[in-house]
Formats: sequence, C-alpha cells, structure tokens
Amino acid sequence: MSDEKPPLGSWRRVYAAIILYLILLIALFTAFTARWNQ
Amino acid sequence: MRPADWAVLLASLVGIVGYGLYKGRGSDTTSKYLLAGRTMPWYAMALSIMATQASAITFISTTGQAYADGMRFVQMYLGLPLAMIIIAAWIAPRFHESGVYTAYEYLERRFDTRVRALVSLIFLIQRGLAVGVALSAPALVLTVIMGWPANVTSLVMGVIVVGYTVAGGIATVTWTDFVQMLIMTAGLLAALICAIWMSPVSLGEAMNVAGAAGRLNPAVWTVDWNNSYNILSGLIGGLFLSLAYFGCDQSQVQRYLTGKSIAQAKLSLLFNAIAKIPMQFTILFTGAMVFVFFTFTQPPVTFDSSAAKRIERSEGYAQAKSEYDAAWQARRSAATRLPEAAAEFKSAQERLDTARARAAGLAGVKAGADTNYIFLSFVTHYMPVGIVGLIMAAIFAAAMSTISAEVNSLATVSVVDVYKRYVRKDREDRHYLRAARWATAFWGAYAVVTAQYAANLGSLIEVVNKVGSLFYGGLIGVFVLAFFVPRATARGALWGVLVGEAAIFYMWLRTDIFYLWFNAIGCLVVVAAGYAVSLSNRKPQPR
Repeated sequence: MSDEKPPLGSWRRVYAAIILYLILLIALFTAFTARWNQ
Repeated sequence: MRPADWAVLLASLVGIVGYGLYKGRGSDTTSKYLLAGRTMPWYAMALSIMATQASAITFISTTGQAYADGMRFVQMYLGLPLAMIIIAAWIAPRFHESGVYTAYEYLERRFDTRVRALVSLIFLIQRGLAVGVALSAPALVLTVIMGWPANVTSLVMGVIVVGYTVAGGIATVTWTDFVQMLIMTAGLLAALICAIWMSPVSLGEAMNVAGAAGRLNPAVWTVDWNNSYNILSGLIGGLFLSLAYFGCDQSQVQRYLTGKSIAQAKLSLLFNAIAKIPMQFTILFTGAMVFVFFTFTQPPVTFDSSAAKRIERSEGYAQAKSEYDAAWQARRSAATRLPEAAAEFKSAQERLDTARARAAGLAGVKAGADTNYIFLSFVTHYMPVGIVGLIMAAIFAAAMSTISAEVNSLATVSVVDVYKRYVRKDREDRHYLRAARWATAFWGAYAVVTAQYAANLGSLIEVVNKVGSLFYGGLIGVFVLAFFVPRATARGALWGVLVGEAAIFYMWLRTDIFYLWFNAIGCLVVVAAGYAVSLSNRKPQPR
C-alpha cells in the first residue's frame, strides 16, 4: 500500500522541492511588489 | 441574470449533483459511506481538499479585499506548503496506519476517552457554529446583488447539498467537490480574463494603475504584531492555522482518509502545497484588475445597494456626490498619465477615499463595509451573458463544496465519536450506516435552520467566524502532544487543552494580538502545559 513510488524518487526530494518552490514564490512576490507596487 | 445565465447555472447544478450521485452509488456500508471504502485516487482528494477550503464568501470577499486593500492577504497562505509537508510526512501516515474514521478516534488510542470526548466536542461546537454561516453568508450577498430572498437561497442551496450528501456519503461529496473545483477554476479564469479585457488600457498600463494605488503588494516584509498580513505572520501564523485546519479538523482530515494508499493521500496534500498559493494569487489579482476597471468606469459610492439607497436619501448627498465625482475624474485623468503622474494619482485616490467615506457617513454607513459586494456587483453589471451564469455557478459550487464537507464530517464525528462510542455500542454495521444517514440529515437541517437566523443577524457573521478560529490552537496543541511528545499523558493532554484554550480566550478578550497568532501561541501553551502536567505524573502512559 504505502510502497507506491513517490515522484522524484523519494518523499524527501519532493519535500525539498516544495520548500525550494516556496522560497522561489516568496522571491517572486518580493520582486513583483518591488517592480509594480509604488 | 439573463436566460442564458440561468441555463448555465442550472445545467451546472444538475450536472454536479448527477455526477456526484452516479459516482457515489453503492455506499452501503459505513466504511464506504464515511470513507469511500478507502478507494479514492489522489487527484479526487486533492481537488476535494481545495474545494472544501474555498468557500463562497472567500471567493466573493477575497476579490473585494484586493480591490480595497491590495494583494497582501496572499501571504496568509505562505505557511500552507510547510504545513502540508508536516502533515504528509508525519500525520497522514499515522491516521492511515491506525485505520481510524476520525482524527479524534486516534486521540483515544494515544491518550484516553476523555481527551477524545473533549476534542470531539470542541470540533462539534466549532464546525456547528460555522456551518450555518457558510450557508447564509453567500445567500446574504446574493440578496443584495440579485434581489433573491436570503432565506430562499440558503434553503435551496441547503436542500441540494443535504440531498446528495445524505444519499451518497463521502464518495458523492468528494466527486462533487472535484467537479465543483473545476467549475470554480473556470469561473475564476473567466472573471480574470474579462476584468483585463474590459479595461480600456493594456495589461502593462493596468498594472501601473493597480501598483500606483498600492494594490500589487503580495510581499510585505514589515513586521506588525498587532495587525496585517506580512511574510512572517504568513509563514508562522499561516503554518499553525494550516496545520490545525488540514491536520486536525475532521472536515479536512476525512478527505485524505479516503485515499486508497498513504502515497495517494500524501500526493493529494502536496498538490495543495503547490497549487493553493497560485490560486489565491489569481483570485486577488482578479480583484486588483477589477479595481483598474473601476478606475476608468465610475463605481457607485458603495457597492452595497441597500446602503446606497439610504445614502442617496440623506441630507447633503448632492454636495458629497459632486465631491466624489470630481475626485474620481481627477483620479481617472491621472491614471491615463502614469507612471509620471503617480503623485497626482495618489493624491486623487486619497481625495476619492475621503469623499466616499463622507458620503457613506451621511447615512451612518461605514466606508469600506461593502467589500463583499464589489466582485458580484462587477460580475452582474458588466460581464458578458453566459459568463455571469458561469461565475454564479462557481459561487454556488464554492458554497456547496464547503457545506457538504462540513455536514459530512459533523455526521461522522457524531456517529463514530459519540453515538457508537457512548450511546449504542456493538450494533451491526447496517445500524451505524442508518445512523450516519440520519446524522447527515440532522446536521444538514441544522445548517439550514441556523442559516435562517444568521440571515437576520448579519453583523454576527464576523463574530461567529472569529469565535470559530479560537479553537484551533487547542486542537493543534493536543495533536502535537499526541504525535511528537512521547512522554505526554492523557492527564497532561487534557489539562494542556484546557489551559491553552484559556490562554487563547484571554488573548482574544484582553489583548490586541492579531488572530493569526492565536493558533501558534495557543498551541505552544497547550504543549508546554501538557508536557509540564505529564511530567508531574508518576506513571507515563505507554504509546
């Protein structure tokens, strides 16, 4: 049941990818605010 | 609404209910009725989780919030991906492996029956308060915008939801959520495209206008402990709020307990970790584009038509209206010369806000109290035929998906944690299946009846929502003790919840601390108090 293969080979890699994605989103939001919000 | 809009709305409702009942047929055991026989694929659970969280009032008011206040609200969701990782890694596998029907059933296995009873009671109070409001809130807004009687709207919506939830159980709820989420996404994208397309300026110029008005602010790094959304409150407060909601609230836990494997449950949670923030960003960006639209098309003094009538009858309205018109013209003129005329635009925006507040004040109406009416007012007055019906279908879908999950989870806790545990033990499965159907019907009827009262007590909605948020710190704290503190005892958990809830109520009543912090601080108090009491016990309980 629980031995289905996770994406990216392991769950740890999936979690790490999501954390990187979150950091990227925050960076994009910051750049977006700096560029457009006056 | 024109006939084509009605056709789209009715076709959507019939399609949703028909598809859900078809997919939920054969729910003839409690396992199938309450957990879909643990057969759900990840994508159905993923969209069900998302649809359950997106209520109609969130859909309606989030766009209005961006119109009035900008996009900073999106930061509230920054902690969500982290919460999803924690739940996927530690919480969901334990729930699945223990084979429980409810999150609170797990607490009896870990602690004792008192802790399970207390936390089940907290859930029933909290969700019981919320479910009537979830039904009445969109009905109230639709009353003002469409002229539909609030009681009739909530009754029709309630009867449809309760009908399919009683008939098909969680399989029907999950598959209707799946379709409802697709309709919501279609409605949202249609609204965004229309808002951009209907503005007389290019997208780049529209961004200049929204930015000059301070509406494009999804990242705020300034820390304010007492108010507002910023990166830190979003990451920490949002993390605890999401942990409580997705990890401890049965209305969400039950979604991923239906998974055919732990891996499928994890995938459904992690899909939300990725998709939720872009979705909220899109909703808020739509609100910012609606703001741009009303920079070039004059908006009313207030979008709440019933308040507008009172304002128009007030003494001094003509003078206030002429000031408002002049301020709007000045802002429009400056908007066409951005970014060079940024200072002039801001000054005109301030004049417009002042004139608006003054006009609203003539009838004792609070300026900015019309946030919930902005989006629907834009949709019904300016959007093309057919799209209006699609967006109305999206709003109905958002309301129904939330209510069905709440009714379904309230019934599950009532039967599994109360009825089966304390009232009628050791009866055959068919008896509990019947009880679950009756409990679903009861909570549905309860939602419809309380919605009738909530419709007459509109100002209480905010209060009830806040009261609901007061319990999450206690919930998350007791589950932290259960999962991560091996030495925690039943007595410690019980006292931890009681002390933690007392601390949260103290913060609410006696301090100005922003409510997002209640979850984090409340959880810490529960864990600290629970651990301290556990240590004072001579005999720690085995895990």
